[in-house]
Amino acid sequence: MTPQGFLTITDLSAGYGTTRVLDRLDLAIVKGEFVALLGSSGCGKTTLLRAIAGFVKPSAGSISVNGTDVTRQPPDKRGMALVFQSYALWPHMTVAQNIGYGLKLRGRSKAEIARRVGELEDLLGLAGLGQRKPGALSGGQRQRVALGRALAIDPQILLLDEPLSNLDARIRLKVRHDISALQKRLGITAVHVTHDREEAMVMADRIVILDRGRIAQQGTPQALYNRPASPFVAAFMGAENRIDLTGRIIADRVEIAAGPNNAPADLPRDGRPLADGPLEARFRAEAAAIVAGESDGNPARDALDLPGRIEAASYPGGAWRHSVRVGDEVLLVDSPTPFALGAAVRIRIPAEALFLFVRQSNPADPEGSLSDGTTGRVLEASET
Amino acid sequence: MPRRLLGLLLVLPALTVILFLFVLPLTLSVVGAFETEAGYGLGNFTKSFALYSSDILFTVVIVSLSTCLIGLFSIAIGGYLTLGENPRAVAILRWLYRWPLFIPFIVVGQVLRTFLAKNGLMNNILVGAGLITPLQAVSFLDWRGIVIAFVWKQTPFVTLLLAGAMASVDRGTIEAARNLGASRLRILIEILVPQVATTLMVGLVLSFVTMMSVLSVPLMINAQSPTMLTADIAFRINAYGDYGVANALGLISLAATACVAWFYLRQSMRERG
Repeated sequence: MTPQGFLTITDLSAGYGTTRVLDRLDLAIVKGEFVALLGSSGCGKTTLLRAIAGFVKPSAGSISVNGTDVTRQPPDKRGMALVFQSYALWPHMTVAQNIGYGLKLRGRSKAEIARRVGELEDLLGLAGLGQRKPGALSGGQRQRVALGRALAIDPQILLLDEPLSNLDARIRLKVRHDISALQKRLGITAVHVTHDREEAMVMADRIVILDRGRIAQQGTPQALYNRPASPFVAAFMGAENRIDLTGRIIADRVEIAAGPNNAPADLPRDGRPLADGPLEARFRAEAAAIVAGESDGNPARDALDLPGRIEAASYPGGAWRHSVRVGDEVLLVDSPTPFALGAAVRIRIPAEALFLFVRQSNPADPEGSLSDGTTGRVLEASET
Repeated sequence: MPRRLLGLLLVLPALTVILFLFVLPLTLSVVGAFETEAGYGLGNFTKSFALYSSDILFTVVIVSLSTCLIGLFSIAIGGYLTLGENPRAVAILRWLYRWPLFIPFIVVGQVLRTFLAKNGLMNNILVGAGLITPLQAVSFLDWRGIVIAFVWKQTPFVTLLLAGAMASVDRGTIEAARNLGASRLRILIEILVPQVATTLMVGLVLSFVTMMSVLSVPLMINAQSPTMLTADIAFRINAYGDYGVANALGLISLAATACVAWFYLRQSMRERG
């Protein structure tokens, strides 16, 4: 983590009543960076954004912008503009009035407001719509008006609270690129809250994954996608398939013992903080392959084989997605060609696509908590 | 029995009630307004204007002034309930402001009569506090008393409607304005009130109509001339049995309320269009 950020959040805690939503959170964002706060509902991402904006009073910690502490400052003194999930446009004002309101509050002249509003309308593709009321606009247009209203006051920091969640899937794809292109062009610092992984990946320079008020992991989209530091992050980044394994560390290799659901394997350790004993493996449906036939019993090198049986197949586009029963688990795996229902197959997961973690707590295995604080170390290791 | 007849039969009781208790009396009094001893004509109206034109003006001015004040107070109270940042003050105000809703007009008249009189509670308090001398004490039992009674009684009603509408306004629209640096007063005037303008208009029109029809308050507080049309109508009927002029005065009040209703309809049509 960079010690000196443009927007620095230190030891921030916040909550509603007795519920603690943010738990001693630290985050530093550099100037011009686009950071996505990613998490499931209730993880605290919107609370964090509203605390940055000044609508949630933190119970502890501080927020500073460019070295100035703004923790106790009112929302409008922070040099930030917030784009709301519902857009929150004023229905009784025209598009031009909505965009120009912040300038009107700052006492700018009518001519200056008109000039700036015109600029923003051109920039956002709203030319000719200035005299319409928000009610007469499409969802995408409303979203752009909300963006224009926020940008009109030249904020140092742009805060986006799930601004795309109310848009049609197709428009969403376009607006994603529009917003990140605009952000790059204006060189503005942006914090974007979303629960959509793909949206965060496409738009952000850095993704911060939140889990129960803490940062689970942060890094570039590639780093999070390819090297998740915990099962939670792996699952959030799309590695939903989970299988329990038992492993032994030998130098820089991990030897996976044959189990009820898996063939033996010899995998690279790849610098991961693993230990002897129960492991949790996760992988993505599209990163594995299906191979026909039974295993020969020899340990596979740099790949893990899971014998199973095809239960169902569907075609969502691009590849066939199979439900494969492996022991008690049903795993989803893609394959370019369909397999017959009931066929005995092996799921082959290449080592680089298999995320391994020390299994933390398993109800079936009470002594399984081999390492405590491992996750903590993993987090530190990844926060470079 | 055919279905259509059955349906008609089901509606019949309600229809009868409306016809006999509402449409018929209204028609009779409208017709009665034009009925004079010398047949149908405008005699009742010329008499009404000759005798009561100052009362007509008085009524319209009093009720309009009260409506304006009610609007201002209900915006202030509703605004504080919505934008207030001190939760305890908001809770207390929310609990307090509704009380007058549960007090009938006649009791309001009674209470204010003892409160506003020359030797009433208000002046006693002011004298006791040394703010005025007993000689300076004046009675408020005139047009001011009526306005105070109307505003006191009707503000909670409009506030109730308005606060509900304000509470259902998207909080984001308020926060967006705060985010851009709008003060609470500006948010109230420029963001909140325009979004609840229709509700405010409905509340004020309903209050206007209610106040036009109150008899007890002018009778109890303003026993002098000029007074309100309701008192005149009661007087024409009770003292003279003169239903013709009473009906004409009734029709004039109806015209006044119809003006307000028309104004409201035009406004809401324009907003929709």
